Amino acid sequence: MRTIVRSAAYRMAFAVSLAFALATLLLGIAIYYAAHAAFAREMDAGIQQATSGLMPDYRDDGIDGLKEAMAQREGRGTDSLEYALFQPDGRRVAGSLDTPMPETGWRMISFLDPVEGPDPARALITRLPDSYRLVVAADLEPLEQIDRTILGLFGIAFAVLLLIGLFGALVFGGYLRRRLARIEDTANGIIAGDLSRRMTIGPRRDEFDRVASSLNIMLDRIASLIANLRQVTSDLAHDLRTPLARLRNQLETLQGQVQSGQQRESVDEAVERADEVLHLFDAILRISELDEGSLRRRFAPVDLCKLVRELGETHAPLAEDAGKTLDVQAEGECLVEGDRELIAQALINLIENALRHTPAGTKILIGARGEFGRVVAFVRDNGPGIPENERERVLERFVRLEEARSTPGHGLGLSLVRAIADAHEARISMSGADGFEIALHFPASVAA
Amino acid sequence: MRILIAEDDADTAGFVERGLGELGHNVTVVDKGTDALHLALAEAFDLLIFDRMLPGLDGLSVVRRLRTADVAAPVLLLTALGKIEDRVEGLDAGADDYLVKPFAFSELAARVNALSRRPPPQTTVTRLFAVGIEMNLLSREVRRDGKIIPLQPREFQLLEELLRHAGEFVTRTMLLERVWDFHFDPQTKIVETHISRLRSKLNEGGLPDPIETVRGVGYRIPAE
Repeated sequence: MRTIVRSAAYRMAFAVSLAFALATLLLGIAIYYAAHAAFAREMDAGIQQATSGLMPDYRDDGIDGLKEAMAQREGRGTDSLEYALFQPDGRRVAGSLDTPMPETGWRMISFLDPVEGPDPARALITRLPDSYRLVVAADLEPLEQIDRTILGLFGIAFAVLLLIGLFGALVFGGYLRRRLARIEDTANGIIAGDLSRRMTIGPRRDEFDRVASSLNIMLDRIASLIANLRQVTSDLAHDLRTPLARLRNQLETLQGQVQSGQQRESVDEAVERADEVLHLFDAILRISELDEGSLRRRFAPVDLCKLVRELGETHAPLAEDAGKTLDVQAEGECLVEGDRELIAQALINLIENALRHTPAGTKILIGARGEFGRVVAFVRDNGPGIPENERERVLERFVRLEEARSTPGHGLGLSLVRAIADAHEARISMSGADGFEIALHFPASVAA
Repeated sequence: MRILIAEDDADTAGFVERGLGELGHNVTVVDKGTDALHLALAEAFDLLIFDRMLPGLDGLSVVRRLRTADVAAPVLLLTALGKIEDRVEGLDAGADDYLVKPFAFSELAARVNALSRRPPPQTTVTRLFAVGIEMNLLSREVRRDGKIIPLQPREFQLLEELLRHAGEFVTRTMLLERVWDFHFDPQTKIVETHISRLRSKLNEGGLPDPIETVRGVGYRIPAE
């Protein structure tokens, strides 16, 4: 229900059908009044005509002539009119209309119908010269019946229209929502990282299809720009490696010639600097290689639990030297489909972060376990962690948090982890109430 | 040692030729894949160093053809591409080792040494000795001057690698590849830390340090 209330498509469809039903209702009311007025006019004309028709009888033959003519008309029953003639003292002397004497002119009167009891009627009361009063009345029953019929018809029409409108709104709103949901779905897929998703375009080429087609063209363009950017980045890294390699080789030759002293130290340092830049380029190239996705062909089952145990054993002494502890929690075997070295590199980057950005005395726990068709590898520590609002950002390229600026690194460590995770269709999660845990959720190998 | 280098980048070729020449090797340089193939088929070389990308015929195809023609000389492939796929392809084609440009000359020299002294695969060694250290590969026992030294598995593997190449430099990269099976640089001090642990266990009681370290080159245990 809430989705219906919050959906613009449903709201629009409901508004249109409600407006349509209201218009019908208005039309009904207008017709009701017009028909009522016309019928009432016709009724008045009939009364007027009957009254005028009696006048010659009265003029020619006086009261008796009038009485005779009235009795004649009532007896014939040719019209649906009722008649009454009152003496000046108010006594009814002719006609069957059972009512007390009314005032002269056009009146609404009430008379006693022998069958139906008291009944309203429209009456013209004419004062005759010798103070007699002639009453010609028409029962309002037929008029009321027409009113009821018109009201009833339009009432039903209104209800049916409301129902049709409601049903139509649900169908129409649902259709709009479905069309939009398809676009939204694709957009969400793209937001989640699958840049290859495109909107489906129907055969009708309606406005939804045209929007979808425009979005697809836009997405193609964005994708090609991103690909271009990646290509330029990796080309740049690649092209700069050669001259940098030459520089490094020259420095190395120089290293062999300068034996000791401050000059040697400077040369050594220059070689290290060159190596740092080369490593940065390597990381960029590795990320773009991962982005290409061609590595999947070489994936094989990897025992993540075993790998975590190995990495734990390898890094425990490093933690110890830094005044921290590193424990391992990975029993048995848990297979994932992947590249052992890439996964190792990702986990080493995570361990290295835990070692580098925590104070002495920090306890680090690394582990892996298989659960519900997934294999989770995690690195946990009781250090300061990454602030919640920064967590998504640290996975971006070249992002370094303010606190980490003082430590060495180029800000590609976690983006390499992300590229590796993406290549393995693994999800990265970060959590931690007291301490911090970053985990990679791999789909378990089907071979397992 | 007779070494054939096929490299189209004159700068790298010169750098390698000069360095290997200084080490006393007899170096021939060509810059085309077809020349490399013809020379390697016609003459006997102890080691072939090919760039992966060569004009005419690429390094990978040259290696494949040489292997089909039963040329068994060890091949070291050089590449400007650091791609994971390239290394696997190179080794599949029949190359013995693989080096990503740019490399330190010491790295190349260490690998050239290791390739040229690669023992025939049929001989199985069960004991390794050097400077008073004795390693039994079957019982996985290490003694220094007769005294048993308990080592962690990684430390044992490190020492084994150094002892197998006693007298030669083993680089940090080579240790990462052979002890950890990592063909990437994890950018951490795992090699340094584990060597330092190994060292302190070997030297316990004030014994002289058997592991020589040369910064930027690698580690070496002297041969007997």
